[in-house]
Amino acid sequence: MSPRDPFSAPNITRRSFLVAGSLTGVAAFIAACGTSGTANTQTPTGTPAATAGASPAATAAPTPKPTTSAELNWANWTYYMDTDPNDATKFPTLEQFKTKYGTTVNYQEVIDDNDSFLGTIQPQLQHSQDTGWDIIVMTDWMAARIIRLGWAEKMDLGNMPNVTANLQDVYKDVTWDATNDHHVPWQSGMTGLGYDKAKTGALTSLAEFYDPKYKGKVDYLTEMRDTIGLTMLKLGLDPSKATRADCDKAIAEIKKAKDAGIIRAFKGNAYADDLRTGTIVLSMAWSGDMVQALIDKPSLAFTVGSEGGMLWTDNCMIPKGAKNKYTAEVMIDFCYDPKIAAQIEAGVNYICPNKGAADVLKANNPDAANNPLIFPPADILARLHIFVGLSEDDEKYFNDQFATVSGLG
Amino acid sequence: MSAAGAVIDRPGPTIGNRIFRFLDRYLLVIYTLAAVFYLMLPVLVMSMFSFNDPSGKSNVVWQGFSLNAWLHPFEVNGLQKAVTTSLGIAFLSTIIATALGTMIALALARHGFRGRAVTNLFIFLPMATPEIVLGASLLTLYVAIGVPPFFPLNFLTILIAHIMFNISYVVVTVRARLAGFPIHLEEAAMDLGANEWVTFWKVTFPLILPGVMAAALLAFSLSIDDFVITNFTGGTISQTFPMLIYAKTRIGVPPQVNVIGTIIFVTAVGLVAMSTLVSRAQAQRDQRVARRLTADEAAAA
Amino acid sequence: MGAFLRRHRGLTPYLLLAPGLLWLAVFYLGPSVQMAVSSFWSGSLEKGYVFSFANVTNYTKALTRFEPQFLRSILYGGAATILTFLIAYPLAYAIAFRGGRFRNLLLFLVIAPFFTSFLLRTLSWKIILGDVGPFLGPLKAIHLLPDDFRLLATPIAVVSGITYNFLPFMTLPIYVSLEKIDFRLIEAAQDLYANRFGAFQRVTFPLSLPGVFAGSLLTFIPAVGDYVNAELLGNPDTTMIGNVIQNQFLTQNNYPTASALSFLLMAGILIAVVVYARLLGTEELTAGGA
Repeated sequence: MSPRDPFSAPNITRRSFLVAGSLTGVAAFIAACGTSGTANTQTPTGTPAATAGASPAATAAPTPKPTTSAELNWANWTYYMDTDPNDATKFPTLEQFKTKYGTTVNYQEVIDDNDSFLGTIQPQLQHSQDTGWDIIVMTDWMAARIIRLGWAEKMDLGNMPNVTANLQDVYKDVTWDATNDHHVPWQSGMTGLGYDKAKTGALTSLAEFYDPKYKGKVDYLTEMRDTIGLTMLKLGLDPSKATRADCDKAIAEIKKAKDAGIIRAFKGNAYADDLRTGTIVLSMAWSGDMVQALIDKPSLAFTVGSEGGMLWTDNCMIPKGAKNKYTAEVMIDFCYDPKIAAQIEAGVNYICPNKGAADVLKANNPDAANNPLIFPPADILARLHIFVGLSEDDEKYFNDQFATVSGLG
Repeated sequence: MSAAGAVIDRPGPTIGNRIFRFLDRYLLVIYTLAAVFYLMLPVLVMSMFSFNDPSGKSNVVWQGFSLNAWLHPFEVNGLQKAVTTSLGIAFLSTIIATALGTMIALALARHGFRGRAVTNLFIFLPMATPEIVLGASLLTLYVAIGVPPFFPLNFLTILIAHIMFNISYVVVTVRARLAGFPIHLEEAAMDLGANEWVTFWKVTFPLILPGVMAAALLAFSLSIDDFVITNFTGGTISQTFPMLIYAKTRIGVPPQVNVIGTIIFVTAVGLVAMSTLVSRAQAQRDQRVARRLTADEAAAA
Repeated sequence: MGAFLRRHRGLTPYLLLAPGLLWLAVFYLGPSVQMAVSSFWSGSLEKGYVFSFANVTNYTKALTRFEPQFLRSILYGGAATILTFLIAYPLAYAIAFRGGRFRNLLLFLVIAPFFTSFLLRTLSWKIILGDVGPFLGPLKAIHLLPDDFRLLATPIAVVSGITYNFLPFMTLPIYVSLEKIDFRLIEAAQDLYANRFGAFQRVTFPLSLPGVFAGSLLTFIPAVGDYVNAELLGNPDTTMIGNVIQNQFLTQNNYPTASALSFLLMAGILIAVVVYARLLGTEELTAGGA
């Protein structure tokens, strides 16, 4: 049993002291995006947070047959798990999991790029060997590729009652995992305008990225799908149906901005530091980063462009041949307990795919629950697009074009 | 031209000479101090930001003084493990590369043999290859092998790379020390009946020890700071300190990293200062021994 | 062992060389050969690779598509080498001839910064040179510089970063060669030419040339292959060949193209080294690096 009440106020990080936005939550999310028939605005299993502090158990205990292993190896992106506010090396969620199941989670923040991470495990996957990881977290286009190549274990949903009950419907039945059992969404995020409103005033249009008045003061993203996606939206093209011709148009537009000296650099998450230092005033930005950056510099703001924004999801997967498949399923399911999901969400600040988390947060961390960047309102969600799933050849084409325009050949 | 200068110096006939003399006397001192400041400036900034009190995850804007990072230097996920990994690799690669490199240096400096020129070139090649090519080519080899212990990339694959790039630097450093080596001391020992083995450990090794120590220090500092080669040969299982810094540059390098950087700097400076003092004492002792031996030889004759 | 060696004296050098050279053969030559092989691959990581000597597309592609980055690397590397020389020579000269009893201390101060991680030092430069940082900020505040003036994300920042990072590789060899000069020679020259500048020009500088050459090589080689400075301090128009190789290897996982690029870079540098070795002899090379 964890000595600390994981849901009491002191444990909620300072990120909760955020400007609250409009009152919206899960219901709106589903109302806006719900595609499957089951209309549900209720939160079925999310027990109110008042009783928190007790073991955050999933109501349905796992079947007794298999037992959880002593160790579990999880590769994730940096700052993608809640941490103890007094010691950033401690992860309350993982400690609670250990208390409950006796499993020590070897949690490593080693992913900072989909391609380069896959490069480190690809040879084992090709030779059907254990990669050393039981859970990996990959962005949807990469998850699709891994599933297509048969490199993801099929999960036993019977071991994952929380996932079944709490995964928002909008995430279900994607084309690349029709059976919903090769991936489980971890976090989602929006790509839009991150800017310093003290310097630019309030911005609404993606056209700002291509405006010469910000010459040398704009960062674009190194993530091809975000930069090309936003450019397509600016041009009135739909990134969820992008073709090579659309790609060419977008590349030409980016090249124009680059040649005009508007683009200062293509950056990963590092654009946030450029905004903080005042090096740039505007950047293509990810919602979760901007929630963080706001703490340092309140004049920063994040907006989804009026022309639209990008929506992406990072997903938990079990790589083929993983040693601790059952424990990995239990772990993922544990994180889908609405209380645990709320605890993670308060620390991570991206968009939560869990139905019950918003209600839990409303009770004990209303600032997070009401933050439009964490629980975006319907009108924003309606403007978001998911990048088209590319074939291997098209992907190579898009990547090549993007590498050229970003100076890498 | 100052009056004092005019008294000491013979008057120079050309303008070039006057300018040169002026530069020589005053500007060089100022220049040297300015250069040292320029070299040290980033280190000062790095140390300064270890005392920063950032409100968020980023540490690029000064926000206030805090000892927090110094009091909790390992409160960053993976930092302790990364530092341990870096130290482990640096120690092991230093020991192995120093041993292998010293042997090569001895062979090159002391023995005539066929293939010297080729060996010299072969030693130089790794130093003449850009780091990125060294790292990338090792990666292609590891990936082509594709089985443990070479794949997945791990502690061992980094260690192999570090030993590889350190050997040449050790050879070069130890050789420089061997250049002025008093061979007659060894001959004297052999004349007195010592075999090669005893001669090596009792005479040769103590004499080249300062060179070996300098080589080891160089190897250690190259290893602990290497990022490019390590990034290619390191994968995700073993993360070194520089790899961690690079990963954190994407989101924000916490002040704890600056703390560790400062500690490594201070330790290295201390170690070098100490080794300089030790080698100076040793050099003095060597000289005394040499003088006595020469005197003995003379007396015997 | 001792008796065996005494009987086979000629073997000693080979026994001494064997372990180290074997290591280099397996982990330096081996990978180079492997890289040469992969540069002739066609196919993809997903579909598998096929080797064929007839397949030179990786090379033609590398030379045409990435030509700007190759040229830029040579340009930046060359500029940084000249800059390090201009900064390092007076410094080494001052330490060698004017250092007096502070000589060791000064030498140490030159090397000391390089005991900290070069990533942290480069990040520090980023803070110092920032658009509104401690250096440019005040100058802009008093309107000495226009508001949109910047150093970061320009070729100046990249070349400065490389210059800073490789400065000791230039300073130390020059210092070593200057320090070796017999001071009586310079005094004699001063008497002869009755002129310090003449003495420097005709005696000191020529005698220090081996150090200058060694230093240039030790600076130019890593500078041409560098990618971290361009990544942290540059922009899309300052990418060097190292950035391309890094991107092709680690992000695109395009091993054939990346191998061809690496091989070309290595070959270019080796040709330069061989030409250089012909000029000065191989012994000078390994000895000069100390």
